[in-house]
Amino acid sequence: MLRLGIKSLLAHKVRFALTASTIVIGVAFVVASFVTADSLRSGFDQLAEDINTGTDYTVRGELPFGEITEAVAPAVSADLVDDIAAVDGVEIAKGGLFVNGVIPVDGNGEAVTTFGPPVAGTNWLEDESLSQFYLMEGRWPVGIGEFAIDITTFEDDGYDFELGGTYQVVTPTGPREFTLTGVAQFGFPENAGVGAIFSLFDTATAQEILGFPGEFTVISVRAEAGADIAELQTRIEAVLPDGVEVITAADSEEEFSDATETFIGPFQTILLVFAFIVLFVSTFIISNTFNIVLGQRVRELSLLRAVGATPGQVRMSVLTESAIIGAVASVAGLGLGMLGALGLKALLNFFGASLPDGPLPLVPRTVLWAVVVGVGFTVLASLVPAIKASRISPVAGLAEGTSSDEGASLGWPRLASGGVLLAIGLVATGLGLFGDFDGATPQLSTLGAGAAVTFVAVSVLSPLVSRAVVSLLARPLVWMMPISGRLARANAARNPRRTSATAVALTIGLALVTMVSIVGQSLKVSFGDRLANAFTADFIVTADTQAGLPKTLSSDIRAAGIGTPVGFDLDLVQIDIGDSQVETQLTAARVSDLEAVINIDVIEGSLDGFDPQTGLLIQSDVAADDNLGLGDTVELTFVSGDRATVSVAAIFDGNGFWSSWFIDSALYDQFATTAFDDVVMVQSAIDDPEAARAAIDDVLDSYPQAVLEDRQEFQESIESSLNTVLVLVNVFLGFALLIALIGIVSTLTLSVFERIREIGLLRAVGMTRRQMRRMIRWEAAAVSLYGAVVGVVLGAAFGMATSAAIPEDIIDTIAVPYLQLFIFLVISVGFGLIAALFPAFRASRMNVLDAIADE
Amino acid sequence: MSVAAPPTHAAARAVAATKIYGSGDTAVRALDAINVTFEQGQFTAIMGPSGSGKSTLMHCMAGLDRVTEGQVLIGEIDLSTLSERDLTLLRRDNVGFVFQAFNLVPTLTAIENIMLPMDLAGSQGDTDWVDEVVSATGLADRLKHRPSELSGGQQQRVAVARALAGQPQVIFADEPTGNVDLNTGAEILGFMRNAVDEMGQTIVMVTHDAVAASYADRVVFLVDGKIVDELVDPTPERIRAHMNQLGA
Ligand SMILES: Nc1ncnc2c1ncn2[C@@H]1O[C@H](COP(=O)(O)OP(=O)(O)O)[C@@H](O)[C@H]1O
Ligand SMILES: [Mg+2]
Repeated sequence: MLRLGIKSLLAHKVRFALTASTIVIGVAFVVASFVTADSLRSGFDQLAEDINTGTDYTVRGELPFGEITEAVAPAVSADLVDDIAAVDGVEIAKGGLFVNGVIPVDGNGEAVTTFGPPVAGTNWLEDESLSQFYLMEGRWPVGIGEFAIDITTFEDDGYDFELGGTYQVVTPTGPREFTLTGVAQFGFPENAGVGAIFSLFDTATAQEILGFPGEFTVISVRAEAGADIAELQTRIEAVLPDGVEVITAADSEEEFSDATETFIGPFQTILLVFAFIVLFVSTFIISNTFNIVLGQRVRELSLLRAVGATPGQVRMSVLTESAIIGAVASVAGLGLGMLGALGLKALLNFFGASLPDGPLPLVPRTVLWAVVVGVGFTVLASLVPAIKASRISPVAGLAEGTSSDEGASLGWPRLASGGVLLAIGLVATGLGLFGDFDGATPQLSTLGAGAAVTFVAVSVLSPLVSRAVVSLLARPLVWMMPISGRLARANAARNPRRTSATAVALTIGLALVTMVSIVGQSLKVSFGDRLANAFTADFIVTADTQAGLPKTLSSDIRAAGIGTPVGFDLDLVQIDIGDSQVETQLTAARVSDLEAVINIDVIEGSLDGFDPQTGLLIQSDVAADDNLGLGDTVELTFVSGDRATVSVAAIFDGNGFWSSWFIDSALYDQFATTAFDDVVMVQSAIDDPEAARAAIDDVLDSYPQAVLEDRQEFQESIESSLNTVLVLVNVFLGFALLIALIGIVSTLTLSVFERIREIGLLRAVGMTRRQMRRMIRWEAAAVSLYGAVVGVVLGAAFGMATSAAIPEDIIDTIAVPYLQLFIFLVISVGFGLIAALFPAFRASRMNVLDAIADE
Repeated sequence: MSVAAPPTHAAARAVAATKIYGSGDTAVRALDAINVTFEQGQFTAIMGPSGSGKSTLMHCMAGLDRVTEGQVLIGEIDLSTLSERDLTLLRRDNVGFVFQAFNLVPTLTAIENIMLPMDLAGSQGDTDWVDEVVSATGLADRLKHRPSELSGGQQQRVAVARALAGQPQVIFADEPTGNVDLNTGAEILGFMRNAVDEMGQTIVMVTHDAVAASYADRVVFLVDGKIVDELVDPTPERIRAHMNQLGA
């Protein structure tokens, strides 16, 4: 029976190749997800190892709570360096500064910025292997007027830097001029900077201009050769004060790897989700192909049964066939996936991610997944067709013609099983949306399973309505093109099961796209509304680097007399309320000016007479949850380890746009570990908007990382970044649509083949090739439109449910982009027309007599 | 055996028509320099042993296939001069064809099948004529039915009606009764005879059956791609006698 399976595969290789290509794409997606993520992991791990070469311990301020990735640890006293160096067994200890948000400006006045990686200022060390900064050209900078820059930036053709030139560097203590004396490389021989940009100063200069006089952010320590690392660690610990920790190189490598995993992990998961969507859609296509091909082989199969093959043997032969297809597709998918990973990394780098170089690691886990997924999904898809094939009676072959035009059980059993599945799917989806879950993973899994079951239910139920709906949707064809249109419509409706199976791939793809667009639109509308009501500020200043805006910016605007600027600094804080503790985001801002720039709706208490040193503002829901009323006190712990006691001065009705806790920057800035605001809002005192803008722009000349927008522009740019995300999601969902396209091509090719005599007949009685092509194209268009309509309806329902399930402080208005949905429908008609190009061409070229003579 | 008659009354004719399948050692001469004329308003039967080239002749005359050498003319149109597209249009407008089986498009009703060539041409056809043809089929009450709801004989009558409906110059039928029982066969043959007598149509029909052939005005005998004999005003007995003589 194995031989039989292989034989039949070879006989139908074109058809199966088309089908298998859907699995290849799915597997490739899975492989690319793993390989890209693994490549990032190994790249960053290597990097962590490189960075720590020559350093055995890092001493730094200890965060009182939270993770090192969430907040900047406090600096440590410079005096500690000598204490540590004096510990027996320590070879060398040097203080380092590493401050994000130090931005060099090139000879053309262009600021050097990145999307994600740090743009940092640091100090160079004599001991290059301890700092990992190696001088490549020129000399190390000495004194307040000199700096060095990293080699990547220096050699970047996009920037203009020359040794000996004088450049501005924007530091936390303001913009300053420096002469470029040297070029340094991070890591040796590799440049381990991975996109980070460095300006280097001598230690004293760095301390002064970065705002850490007498302090370091880290102390790097190397042990004497042969020292016991663990034992020495305890002895170093002994000389450290409270709030300062020492970690080994191994610890910091692990920490780094954990930190990178916080974005690599989700990245991998998201890609895998898309991969599984693609595979899920492929399953329908493959199942459909098997059904059709086996239908065409009824004669052969019943002959097998007649000469003594058992149903089990027939079933095995089909399953063997599918396992072989799956295995071949897995191998091809592995290859394509490696290419995909290469492309994905290139794409990420193109968008400024600066990923570490390195091989594409193909680990056994990835290969295993490829095979399991490739073979698994293909065999799964062939299960039902295999069972059906095994039920073919030994005399079935004697009956005339192919059985595929009917044979669909369209009655009660289908309705009942479809109904039950639909109920399960909807309940699971509803549970996933509205239920209470412990974390996102179980919730999203429930949601995904619910959606998958719903789609299966739709595919089971669809044949019950497809004939009627397709006939209705395709009615205009009859008016457009009397005979081709009538035939196209009839052909699209003639086999409800096949029409449904073909359309369902498109249904799933479009349902997801529709859902995303409705949620996206609702998000935009809700957010837009809220945004529009959230501010009274005339201008908003943001930074185009991660570090934010130096706090000097808002004071400079104030000093220029342009109006009322308010800097907002969001940071992690720990709050003790009675016996319980919460870690949360807290915003520091100048509370007395708050009402000038934002609409803060105070419902209890008042902002008048707010005491900057002891006052706290909280949002009403949080106040209710935490049982806090006016005058109640809480204790705050900042990331610096400092504490402050504040009492509730006012409660405001939050619209979810602001963080729920506010204190005054006068209090906060005493303890802040960074000197940056996240955003600065300005209420202008100048009436003419153009003049106001020009005045602010003047101030911003010293802050090249600053982006100035009025309220309208700010809203638009937030919308446009949301759009970018939506486009990205849709690009990935596009793969599901690609699968749907392949599905239509494949089914249509098979259908045309099956109807070869009919096609010959039509040609014999005078249908021209052009009419033939038109007929087949519009048949495909009708099937696509059907799939699309069901998809859009389903997706709209999902989208509205999801929007409703998302908390009101994120989405409070459900918006349906009707025009967009209509465009989806039009596009899917085009989709069908395109998918039909090849089958239509083949049909029109078929030899009339061969076609008629076909058995 | 007659050489091609003057063209004026010819609905279709073949002049030294040769059809060779394949090439080299395996070449088959399915038609061997055939000359034959089908007069307007005549019902001709073509008989001959299996493999003698009957179907090939039908296909080449109807523009479904091309001859290797010689000419095929429908009216005054030389088919060898026509492009693929013009040949298709000729089939649609000037020729009717009835196959042994599978003559109807399953998704179309009986009347839609009958109207198919005219619909493809985007023309109404001659409504009176179509009505006449339809009423002659005796299927007036089944016109809205699909082929699967019609008997084999009814399907073939619809096929003949489809061939007739566009008033083609000539209708070719390749064993139209080959797949149906005797009574049904008689029904179809009677319908075709009637189309020639009452409606002045020209029909050329391939058959194996002497009784079927006896409905025709003339029987042409084909052996090994050549016309070897012909019989005018045949009866089943005379046909059988001829066939025995030919050793078929
Ligand atoms: N497409 C073809 N290719 C090769 N040989 C063919 C083809 N069609 C018919 N023939 C051969 O041509 C000869 C005449 O065939 P045909 O016209 O079908 O005979 P008939 O209809 O009289 O039985 C036969 O020898 C047949 O094998
Ligand atoms: Mg024949």
